Amino acid sequence: MKRDIAGLLLLLIMPATLIIIMALVQDAPFKDFQSMKFDILLADADHGSTSHQLIDGLKNAGSFHIIDSIDNKPVTEADLKQLLQKGDYKIGILIPSGITANIANSANIAANSIAKKMGVDAMLPTGPLHGQMFVHIFFDPVSKPAFRAAISSALDKYITAACSGILMERLSSLNKNGSDTSAQNDNLSKIMQGIGVKEEPLDSRGDNMMLHINSVQHNVPAWAIFGIFFIVIPIAGNMIREREDGSAIRIALIPGANQFVGPGKIIFYTLICSLQFMLMLCVGIWIMPLLHLPALHLGLHPWLLLPATLSIGFAATTYGYFIGTIFKTINQALPFGSVSVVILSAIGGIWVPVEILPHTMQRVALVSPLHWSLETVNIIMLRDGGLQAVAIPVALLLFSGITLWGCSIIAEKKRNHSVQ
Amino acid sequence: MLAIEVSDLHKNYKGAWAPALAGFSFSVTPGRIAGLLGPNGAGKTTTINILCGLVSPDKGTAKIFGFDCVKDSGAVRHKIGVAPQQVALFGNLTATENLTYVGRLYGLKDEAINKRATALLERLGLLAHAGKRINAYSGGMKRRANIIASLLHEPDLLILDEPTAGVDVQSRALILDFLKEYKQQGKTILYTSHLMEEAQQICDEVTIIDEGKFITKGTPNELIRNTPDCKKLEDVFLHYTGHSVRD
Repeated sequence: MKRDIAGLLLLLIMPATLIIIMALVQDAPFKDFQSMKFDILLADADHGSTSHQLIDGLKNAGSFHIIDSIDNKPVTEADLKQLLQKGDYKIGILIPSGITANIANSANIAANSIAKKMGVDAMLPTGPLHGQMFVHIFFDPVSKPAFRAAISSALDKYITAACSGILMERLSSLNKNGSDTSAQNDNLSKIMQGIGVKEEPLDSRGDNMMLHINSVQHNVPAWAIFGIFFIVIPIAGNMIREREDGSAIRIALIPGANQFVGPGKIIFYTLICSLQFMLMLCVGIWIMPLLHLPALHLGLHPWLLLPATLSIGFAATTYGYFIGTIFKTINQALPFGSVSVVILSAIGGIWVPVEILPHTMQRVALVSPLHWSLETVNIIMLRDGGLQAVAIPVALLLFSGITLWGCSIIAEKKRNHSVQ
Repeated sequence: MLAIEVSDLHKNYKGAWAPALAGFSFSVTPGRIAGLLGPNGAGKTTTINILCGLVSPDKGTAKIFGFDCVKDSGAVRHKIGVAPQQVALFGNLTATENLTYVGRLYGLKDEAINKRATALLERLGLLAHAGKRINAYSGGMKRRANIIASLLHEPDLLILDEPTAGVDVQSRALILDFLKEYKQQGKTILYTSHLMEEAQQICDEVTIIDEGKFITKGTPNELIRNTPDCKKLEDVFLHYTGHSVRD
């Protein structure tokens, strides 16, 4: 077993890892969104009894983890929008001002109506019926439509139930006789729907942004990144072939040549990756519409795709360089390289959006360069982020590339001095 | 100054059952063809790899024209040209492309590369095939191209690790004639081979190594004369290294 550890890895550990990762990743889409627990950022602009009851209802519902304060400060509408725009949270709820007054008015109207039908004079003060007020729901611009619909539906259910409870409580306190009010008033259910849930865009461009949440917008960059990382196959294959056929020795024998050849390879393959990504973007922009699909939207700062693509290409190239250095044979390197890219793509959100993965997997996603690659592209295309916004994921990609390259150089030196 | 000066070299590879080198010492005078002969696993390739700076010795020193092979490996590599056992060329490139690439990495100008490459390709019978990919070459052609790539920067010391292994008689004769010519230019050649007849034919001096240790040294004629019952270099070799088959 000791003689072929890499072979053993490929035979046993790789498929086992693949099975575990894929089962975890695919677990979320097979579950009803309503059975999962999500972090929800909540801003209460009402501060009334109804909003407090709503918040308590959501907290007790069990499906949501409500965050209504950060650093002991209540979340404001501005905080909520900013944090969602940055992608720090995926879902936000704004309880607008006046919701308590509106629901009280609805309850009073309903109670007076019931009292009137019972032959009692209406006695509760009422204002004009304003119709339905909305609890606003916001999403991270990157969130997918299916996710939005499922969460909106679940929230609507809980909020409607909570509002009904509030109304019923008020009516029963007003109606001393405790009779079945709902059966006595045809319009009661309509009046009781005093509060609804409505999804809102984060800013004025939001409606347009909503148009860009489509399969093209996810699949083109996601699978283009996946394709870029498959550069590990030619890089690792060529490096091992060069060692096997002796051409690597020729380079090693030329003074200082490795200082040029190594970086030269990295630069060349990085440019190839970038070209590949740009071509895939062109497919998204011009070919997809020909297939009656939406065109790819590049965001407000498309020029940022250049440093983003170069950093993604660099991370992918150095990963291939690393695989090509540490494995001795093509038979070991190629299966490992391809399966590892599949695993990194699965945990990185290429197959299934990271936001619907279990919490543990969301943390695991942070180790995947494909996650940071997709995050960088999403920031540019969907969040309209600027240079500052992409700086961190780009820096992480460059850091992972430099680390892998450094490890490759160390491994190469070690092998040269220990293998006959 | 000696062309090669190796002193008390030790090298143990991880996992190996015996040391590759166990205190090996030898030297080569400039302007000569020196044969380094030994059975399989004797330590020839390890010695060459240490001389080239590809492997570090555990102990001992190796110098080429006074430059330490570990500390001054850059200077050493300028002085040497190496044709390893493997055909150290890019199979998907043509001979011309390979030589241009190697020449540029040595810092040569394209004009100089073209001039030297053409002369060497012509001398070693490959000029007509310079535009063909190395993968399409026969074994003998690959060996010759391998030697040309190691000579492009005109090294003072040419190290050849079994340059005629697996080549036909014609290619071998061409290679050996070329090596004699190269020596005439005042260059030094270190040569390893399992072909004793060939070594006897071209070497000015021969060092025999076995089990990582120095065994004997001398001109082929001296060795034959001074070893009892020996009529050729192969007899001398078997006398010192025995008849048992090596792994």
